[in-house]
Amino acid sequence: MVMKNPDVEFCGYCITHPSESKINFRIQTRGALPAVEPFRKGLNDLMGVCQHVLSTFERSMKEFRAQKEEEMQ
Amino acid sequence: MAARRGTDEMRDRVVLGEFGVRNVHTTDFPGNYPGYEDAWDQRRFEEAFRVDVIREEGDTLEFDMVGIDAAIANAFRRILLAEVPTMAVEKVFVYNNTSIVQDEILAHRLGLIPIRADPRLFEYRNQGDQEGTEIDTLQFQLKIKCKRNPQAAKESSDPDELYFNHKVYSKHMTWVPLGNQTDLFPDADFRPVHDDILIALLRPGQEIDVLMHCVKGIGKDHAKFSPVATASYRLLPDITLLQPIEDEAAETLQKCFSPGVIEIQNINGKKVARVANARLDTFSREIFRHEGLKNLVRLARVRNHYIFSVESTGILPPDVLVSEAIKILMGKCQRFLNELDSVSME
Repeated sequence: MVMKNPDVEFCGYCITHPSESKINFRIQTRGALPAVEPFRKGLNDLMGVCQHVLSTFERSMKEFRAQKEEEMQ
Repeated sequence: MAARRGTDEMRDRVVLGEFGVRNVHTTDFPGNYPGYEDAWDQRRFEEAFRVDVIREEGDTLEFDMVGIDAAIANAFRRILLAEVPTMAVEKVFVYNNTSIVQDEILAHRLGLIPIRADPRLFEYRNQGDQEGTEIDTLQFQLKIKCKRNPQAAKESSDPDELYFNHKVYSKHMTWVPLGNQTDLFPDADFRPVHDDILIALLRPGQEIDVLMHCVKGIGKDHAKFSPVATASYRLLPDITLLQPIEDEAAETLQKCFSPGVIEIQNINGKKVARVANARLDTFSREIFRHEGLKNLVRLARVRNHYIFSVESTGILPPDVLVSEAIKILMGKCQRFLNELDSVSME
């Protein structure tokens, strides 16, 4: 998500030690943009994606079940 | 034009070569391909995205997700396996166990039994809380004693005839309501999903008397809490014939793939091969063992078309599990946003 932002020059993560649950997440922007903005935008975009996936999935399930009902009758 | 087609292939397809797989990683980031619009656009995503449900039978669900990135599809799969909560037996209070099965083995087996209880009705138990309250614990009892059957025939050696209760099944587990659970859940029938799970074997004189506490947990903590038998996905196969293949070669080609993938048609008296349904193929790569045919076929997968297969253990129906997994991912994003806001306010 953050990689899809054209302002981001570098984005990566690494896990410091497998026994600790910590991730080092690095974002570098080109220009004067504060790096927190792409992070925030990425999270918001991801929420938007999940919301859309959820509604599309539930709609498809409803349609599938309605179609099966029709076939059975 | 050929260059454009080449980059399209690099962007959309994962190609299976003879000795390796090419174009595995997602490369469509802004700036990588001149002439392509790759920056994130919610509207473009929504136009291209679709979900098709293929099959729903009992506890199995097969559906397609088209137009989504690998990282997000994988995130859904991982959350389905490890982070959707369920109820399972955690603490076993052994009052009497004179059976052959050791206490800890019995407790381990009881923990793995799937319990039909909607985890969304319960809370997580607080850390360090030994007793358990009615909002986070379900109590079950297993009390069974094996007796000899006095009416059995003298020479019979069939244990079903000789003994009563010598097989301990999960149907012998009974729910013991705690506190006001009878009022909170008046219609609920909390029991194991399957009645015929064999827990232990007994002989006359042996008995098992245990009390079990079920709590809510996630698969990351212990695999017994995982709500899916398994959840997996595969990419849609894409088989292209680079040249027309006829006669004997067509017959060999059909045998190289799973049945139903290649269809042979009779055109002008000659047998011509055609790709009928690439979705059925399992990519055994048999084609690479035939020198004459291996350069005439391109095996690839469509990069953003995921065929999910979710099989539930029976606790929750599979479509509910997928919805819960998506909501959990949303919850995680929200938590990070809240953290960001609270840090930036300081």
